[in-house]
Amino acid sequence: MTTKPRPKSATPPPTQSSPALRREHRRRSVFAYLTLSPTLAIVGLLMAYPLYVAIDLSLRGGQISDLLNLEQNPLTFDNYGDVLTDPGLVSDIVRSMVYTLGVVLPAFAIGLGLAVLLNKAFPGRRIIRPLVLLPWAVPGVVVSAAFSWMLDASYGVVNYLLRTVGIIDSNVAWLVDSNTAMFAVILPTIWKYYPFFVLILLAQLQSVPGELYEAARMDGASPLRQFAHVTWPAVRTASALAIVITGIGVFREFDFIFPLTGGGPNEATQTLAIRIYNEAFQFFEMGVAAALGIVTMAICGALLAAAGRAVRREFG
Amino acid sequence: MSTTLSRPRRWSLLALAIAVTSVLMFPIYWMIMTSIVPSERLLVSEPPLVPPADATSISAYTSVLSDVPVLKWLWNSTVTTVGAAVISTVVSTLGGYSLSRFRTKGQQAMGFTLLFSRMLPGTLLIIPTFVLFANFGMVNNLWAVTLVNTAATVPFTTWLMKGFVDAVPVEIEQAAMIDGCGRLGALWRVIVPLLKPGIAATFTYASILTWGDFLFARTLMGNPDGWTVTVGIASFIGEFSVDWSGLMAVGLISMLPMVVLFLLLEPFLTKGMTTGSVKG
Repeated sequence: MTTKPRPKSATPPPTQSSPALRREHRRRSVFAYLTLSPTLAIVGLLMAYPLYVAIDLSLRGGQISDLLNLEQNPLTFDNYGDVLTDPGLVSDIVRSMVYTLGVVLPAFAIGLGLAVLLNKAFPGRRIIRPLVLLPWAVPGVVVSAAFSWMLDASYGVVNYLLRTVGIIDSNVAWLVDSNTAMFAVILPTIWKYYPFFVLILLAQLQSVPGELYEAARMDGASPLRQFAHVTWPAVRTASALAIVITGIGVFREFDFIFPLTGGGPNEATQTLAIRIYNEAFQFFEMGVAAALGIVTMAICGALLAAAGRAVRREFG
Repeated sequence: MSTTLSRPRRWSLLALAIAVTSVLMFPIYWMIMTSIVPSERLLVSEPPLVPPADATSISAYTSVLSDVPVLKWLWNSTVTTVGAAVISTVVSTLGGYSLSRFRTKGQQAMGFTLLFSRMLPGTLLIIPTFVLFANFGMVNNLWAVTLVNTAATVPFTTWLMKGFVDAVPVEIEQAAMIDGCGRLGALWRVIVPLLKPGIAATFTYASILTWGDFLFARTLMGNPDGWTVTVGIASFIGEFSVDWSGLMAVGLISMLPMVVLFLLLEPFLTKGMTTGSVKG
């Protein structure tokens, strides 16, 4: 990431070192740090410091009774030992992956399809576009509430519609049955996340000159070939980045699973994020929860590193 | 970009778009439907798919407004959202300007911070954050929720804003400074007015995120007086006999401010996503 040459600099290096220029240079850099300092202060105080405390917490043994005086507890790797040897960890990781892929892949497919559709000129497009983007503005908990009602075992409209069409014979208790619960928490999450893909991919597509499609059509390219040779190259990098950013977000998502199932039934929807919360605020195993959080972060980091060079190109 | 399409093609695209939109908007339709049709008509195995003409009422809205402290919840959400959105916008305008105009080491660090902060599980951060605010006696304080949400949005909005500042030519503020403006004066009088779309995008993004926040508000606000609307709504779901009409009414009321904000600022948002996050 650091090997890439710097983009063209807005700050030309001082060619002569007259005192006046040096002073000006110093004033510039003071201003640069001054304007950046609120950002750094907020990120430092409310992310770096809690992260430091979390690491400290994860390394403390014994029953943690006083969170403000952690030094009373001995330093140890026991929490990590507990977490890493727990056979449940693998299941939690698998569930987190299933949830993440189950959300990101369909959300991306819907987002790409809609972006391609909305990039075409047809009457009513101006009304349709904000409508399909709307779920993004709906709070996750409201989405959860709507879907928990629609998926209700006795009176849910989803059961009614599926019965009418003949896909199911009798009602399914989507959120209560451990075979369907994961699907039932994935569905609302897709609904909330697909607009983000539409937003990004549509913006990318709008920068593609229409002549490219004209030319492709003149050459007799089928819609499929047009997609492969014009559309896809235009959105490929943005897609990779959007998938990674959304993927990391979904991997630690809390707002959908927790209100819908709390991680149940029978841990069927217990992802790492939910497990961390339950360890901390249900069982008050703060040390274990913190260690689990650090492990989750490490997994995210590893996935990110594996996610390839697209991201590095963007942020290098 | 708008390619010329034959007339039947355009109408078939519209038909497709309407079909897709109907499916995607069904949850919102069903919420509205549930909120205006009395429960006894819906709690049957074959609920009507359109509101029956003889049984449509807004009683769910009136009873919710009198039975649960919705207005209090909305007020709390408004305070935290406006607070977090304003602070995020100011901070990330300054930060985005700094990252765009001065190539400091901070720039790469911020790129990392953006991705890294996405990796921190919120459920992990909330434990020490809770401790931190307990230390300052700020549990059950709306400022705590505001600040945490600000911190959650700032890494991304700073990056978003940098993209917008990049699009403003450096010469503009240089000219202003030659005309006697200080650096801060040039930023305020010349750059900020040009950043309106970016400010709109940042404000919307931070608002939607904070208004929708559940985890931080739930954990930092034990006292029901301080509940935001998302925490209030979630408190409905766990109950044994859920008042679905009331719940959907509260849900729809809570969506309204963000939907209005979103519809007003959506054009900026589409632009912001390209300049800010994707082209970096």
